[in-house]
Amino acid sequence: MARMRRDRPRSLAEDLRRRSDDELGALLRARPDLVNPVPADLSALSSRATTTSSVTRALDHLDRFHLQVCEAVAAAGDPTSHAAIQQGIDADPDLVEAALVRLHSLGLLWGDPNDLHLVRGAHDTMGAWPGGLGPACAESRRGVRVYAENPAAVAETLTDAPQAVREIVERMVWESPEGTIARADRPVTIETARSPIEWLLARDLLVPRSNDTVVMPREVALALRSGQLVRDVHTQPPALVVKREHDAALVDRTAAGSAFEFLHLVEALLESWSAAPPAVLRSGGLGVRDLARCVMTLNRDIPTAALVLEVAYATGLIAKNTDTDAVWAPTPAYDAWLTRPDAERWTLLVLHWLNMTRAPSVVGQQPASGTRTNALSDDAESPVAPDVRRATLDVLRESAPGSSVDTDSVLAVAQWRRPRRVSAVRLDLCRSVLTEAAIVGLTALGGLSTTGRALIDVDEHDLNRADARGDGRISPGRAPVPPEVVASIERLLPKPVDHVLLQGDLTAVAPGALDAQVARELSSIADIDSTGGATVYRFSEGSIRRGIDAGFSATDIHHFLSTHSTTPVPQALEYLVDDVARRHGSLRVGVASAYIRCDDETLLSTLLSEPKLAGLRLTRLSASVLVSTSPPDFVIERLVDAGLAPAAESMDGAVVVRPRTAFRTPPRPRPPRLTTEPPTPTGALINAAVRALRAGEDASAARPDSTSDDVTAETVSTVPRASVGDTVDLIDAALISEEPIWIGYVDSAGIASERVVEPLRFEGGFLTAYDHRSGEVRTFALARVTGASAIATASPTSTKRKSR
Amino acid sequence: MTEGPLIVQSDKTLLLEVDHAQAEACRRAIAPFAELERSPEHIHTYRVTPLALWNARAAGHDAEQVIDTLLLYSRYAVPHSLLVDIAETMSRYGRLELSSSPVHGLVLRTTDVAVLEEVLRSKKIAPLVGARIDPETVAVHASERGQIKQALLRLGWPAEDLAGYVDGEAHPIELDESSWKLRDYQREAAEGFWHGGSGVVVLPCGAGKTMVGAAAMALAQATTLILVTNTVSVHQWRSELLRRTSLTEEEIGEYSGTRKEIRPVTIATYQVMTTKRKGIYAHLDLFDARDWGLIIYDEVHLLPAPIFRFTADIQARRRLGLTATLVREDGHESEVFSLIGPKRYDAPWKDIEAQGWIAPADCVEVRVTLPNDERLSYAVAEPEERYRLAASSQAKTALVESLVRQHPDDHVLVIGQYLDQLADLSEHLDAPLINGATTIKERERLYDAFRSGDVRVLVVSKVANFSIDLPEASVAIQVSGTFGSRQEEAQRLGRVLRPKADGRTAHFYTIVSRDTVDQDFAAHRQRFLAEQGYAYRIVDAEAVLHPPQSPSADTSE
Repeated sequence: MARMRRDRPRSLAEDLRRRSDDELGALLRARPDLVNPVPADLSALSSRATTTSSVTRALDHLDRFHLQVCEAVAAAGDPTSHAAIQQGIDADPDLVEAALVRLHSLGLLWGDPNDLHLVRGAHDTMGAWPGGLGPACAESRRGVRVYAENPAAVAETLTDAPQAVREIVERMVWESPEGTIARADRPVTIETARSPIEWLLARDLLVPRSNDTVVMPREVALALRSGQLVRDVHTQPPALVVKREHDAALVDRTAAGSAFEFLHLVEALLESWSAAPPAVLRSGGLGVRDLARCVMTLNRDIPTAALVLEVAYATGLIAKNTDTDAVWAPTPAYDAWLTRPDAERWTLLVLHWLNMTRAPSVVGQQPASGTRTNALSDDAESPVAPDVRRATLDVLRESAPGSSVDTDSVLAVAQWRRPRRVSAVRLDLCRSVLTEAAIVGLTALGGLSTTGRALIDVDEHDLNRADARGDGRISPGRAPVPPEVVASIERLLPKPVDHVLLQGDLTAVAPGALDAQVARELSSIADIDSTGGATVYRFSEGSIRRGIDAGFSATDIHHFLSTHSTTPVPQALEYLVDDVARRHGSLRVGVASAYIRCDDETLLSTLLSEPKLAGLRLTRLSASVLVSTSPPDFVIERLVDAGLAPAAESMDGAVVVRPRTAFRTPPRPRPPRLTTEPPTPTGALINAAVRALRAGEDASAARPDSTSDDVTAETVSTVPRASVGDTVDLIDAALISEEPIWIGYVDSAGIASERVVEPLRFEGGFLTAYDHRSGEVRTFALARVTGASAIATASPTSTKRKSR
Repeated sequence: MTEGPLIVQSDKTLLLEVDHAQAEACRRAIAPFAELERSPEHIHTYRVTPLALWNARAAGHDAEQVIDTLLLYSRYAVPHSLLVDIAETMSRYGRLELSSSPVHGLVLRTTDVAVLEEVLRSKKIAPLVGARIDPETVAVHASERGQIKQALLRLGWPAEDLAGYVDGEAHPIELDESSWKLRDYQREAAEGFWHGGSGVVVLPCGAGKTMVGAAAMALAQATTLILVTNTVSVHQWRSELLRRTSLTEEEIGEYSGTRKEIRPVTIATYQVMTTKRKGIYAHLDLFDARDWGLIIYDEVHLLPAPIFRFTADIQARRRLGLTATLVREDGHESEVFSLIGPKRYDAPWKDIEAQGWIAPADCVEVRVTLPNDERLSYAVAEPEERYRLAASSQAKTALVESLVRQHPDDHVLVIGQYLDQLADLSEHLDAPLINGATTIKERERLYDAFRSGDVRVLVVSKVANFSIDLPEASVAIQVSGTFGSRQEEAQRLGRVLRPKADGRTAHFYTIVSRDTVDQDFAAHRQRFLAEQGYAYRIVDAEAVLHPPQSPSADTSE
């Protein structure tokens, strides 16, 4: 509160100058945007504090009561006083006073209690008529002045008002002081008044404001409101509806159950991704089908699967790899995370849930415009999410431990606390925060657990500091997890055990959270049957074989089982292990390129000890067989070098006769000829060329003006236009007789020409023919062939084939 | 944190540590809503299924009780989602009710119109219902009571059946407990059934299911139809009832291939009921022949399909199913539950054994190695031939002989699947053979000779799998079976579980060919018993043929 001075501050800047360091500090703490960056001086601070954006931000953080007080100040007119506001609000004056002091400390009000001003920016957010009060009209209207002097007169005037008039008045007193009507400024008197509006205008209860609007004067409205500036003032939020009181310990235990479950879900999903990582969508998220697979893996609904995914993502346990075919896969941080105790792992997940700017609840939703939101995509970002989470859980914390709180009442309180922030989206988020809190294990049976309370109490700044140090994420390996939260959940999670109970039905039950090392070894020789507070493993032939493949010997397994079982190992299990081990590896597979067989076992023994053959790395498989990893040719060569006489053997055991050095490649084509000379023409081509030349000659002889190759369509007269049927007939005939023909052709550029061609193929509307003029084989579209005629008969005067 | 005996798993199984001080109390508390799935030595597994939860609702338990029980006994925290799921599932029961309306007959009524709308829209329900009486009620044809209950169950909206049972024709039946006493668990089972109206009682082989039937009849005091597996079983039921109840010869009728008597208590075989004449089931009329007050299905896990269907039509009569092994390889267990009724009583085999009502058993799997020639022919055989080849290996014969020799004082049953193999064994052991071709008369003569001790070794085919009461048998040697059938394995063990006069241990040997499908099937067959806590030992044939020192310590017990 501003300290009393003799002269009053004349602006916010002046007011700020008068504030103590503590007061300024409080202002900056409450409105962090003002220090970002630090303003040059108090005038700069003052001008920043009055910008619309900063004021809006400050107002957004106010609850409904403070906003109403703010509106009352705006409605009371500038300047006003504490006394006036206390009088204008139907609430405990002390609370109003406290609210005014707070608004002042926030820099939304300035001046002193008797000369109070609302900052400009705040005024702008209140609309044209703060508090629904119209303009003061006492100065301009005598009738109004009467009401101002004697408020009781308003009620008196209205005593004999018709019902329709009362309805209008009631609406305009609180909701909107302004109304629209044609010819608002028409002259009316009490005698001439016909309509309800005229009735009011005639008595100065409404005043024309322009030619089409009327207003209810402030004086009239205040008289009718008996001086109240704002209505429905609630100094306290609506009460939380407690549905049922549970034992607080029960809520804690149930929440811990969910917490443990959530840990398992994260682990189960990431383990499945370790084996088969899903692809990253081009847009960056996770495909619908992969999400469906997650739902299957977890055996939960889509919102839960999305929550697990997003939390794992926010915690940095999964990420895209950088390969070209990008996939989502667990990060090394996941491995680090796995080594931590359950309580720490959970706390880490939940801290990230609380602070993540992701909204899992929108995953799978389809906004009115646009496509379905993918998990892990940018569309699931929500900057307001952390704020909503804290705000919602803060409300829950108000309830007594163990009480099951009604969701709608939580929303109502959240709404009261931040009325300006309320939107459908935020309410939805708020609702899903409650669902998510139950899944992650902060709440249970509708109440916040002790752990949940401890978590909310963790100072947000601690987290932010940790964030600032790292890469924007709290590194799972060296996580600054709040010890009080860890301790609170730890005592409720299943106790770690390092033993299992082995049973005759070939199952092993770990009655608690099995030590990580033991669990890893056990899961390599047994399959997990069910998880939860305990883990049930099942031994089978396949699982034991897997263990042996992974390097366990039967003795290792027996030792492991007897060490970690509190019960005797069932005979059936021992037998199973031995039986699998006995059969394991009875067939052996290896690599060999050549074998040496010989009935003389002594000879083979000498080969093994021959130093010259050491390079062959011979291995004896049986008395009469050696194998080598070197190719047969090389083996034979070496054996010959060593003075032996080996023979090569084919697949069926016959001796292969090997002709001396005759290396051959497999069949290979000739290399292509690269020459600058044109190829020697073949006889057929020569013939065709000659004929073409002749035909060309004929053509030019037959055509008086054949000076150019290409002539316009109009000038072509040599080849008669023919119907398609005739053309086809002629081409068919030419194909059989192998005679060249004339065709008229219009190319794709619309240029008409005549060509002498020798048809080679004619199908599908295309004629492939040797074009004598260009000397190449070309394809002509039948549709473009204007006509055709035989060479022998081709002449401009030909009458054999008449066109048209 | 309590150190409770129960651990709740994410997949809705409950692990109960049996050595815990509170284990028994916990077992009783969770039994109404959880199915016992496995009961090996240290930790029993129960499963919370929707069906079990609905049965619990039907028996008057609400979600709150179920959740409180879990929280009370659970060692660790129970996930919230599981509790929500339980509450959610249980709340689905009873939104629909089947009841008798004096005006419209059988009607389906709802407290939630949306649910009724949803189910009526289903193609499965539409043909079963009649006119809509008002927004909350729709008429149901009386004969579709079973069908609609099944269909609604599949849709996940089980109907509460308030239509009641017909009392049937009254007939006085008293238990005659002068020479024997109804055991506690038998009484509990019978009463559990009676309070539930209809349902299935699961008790181990040899635990006296006939007595439960008799006790149920005494509670019903009404004419009773008893359906059993075969004629020998008909005679056993008949003589048991004569011995244990006030019923006289004249009151008990036999309805089988040879005799067609319909009396106040009639015992019929499944076989005759399902015999078709000219394409119709001529004998299904037996269900309507009298106004039966109670229908008992013995070995209900074998219920054949036509009776399945017919049972759906007689939902107004009280039905009692008796079985030792409600596992069907065809997965139709749930149909038994929905048609006969929910499981009303279930006792782990080892519990009954601990009380001394069934003999302790030593289960041994003996592995023989196929001789080389058989290994070769096995390797080249068609897949469908492989099991027969492996199971009827010659190597098994010597082993059976050796085992029979090692039990000189016991009554031995040699049980197998393949007739050639059995004939061969019968010849080698010089023991009589009973198979499908043996006449009823001859069978009964041989069984009697076996009971009296004139015949010590009996070679039997699968005709002796069920319901054959041979109290003296103490050693069973199984040489082959119906592939991986778990219930056959259990039933065969059941043949030797009657408590012995001298309290000796029963022996159950399974001879399996090593490294063949025989071994895989054996592993599957043993699952049910292993889950009931029977720990199989596996020994090599060598150890049996040439016992290390003394001829195997366990045989001298």
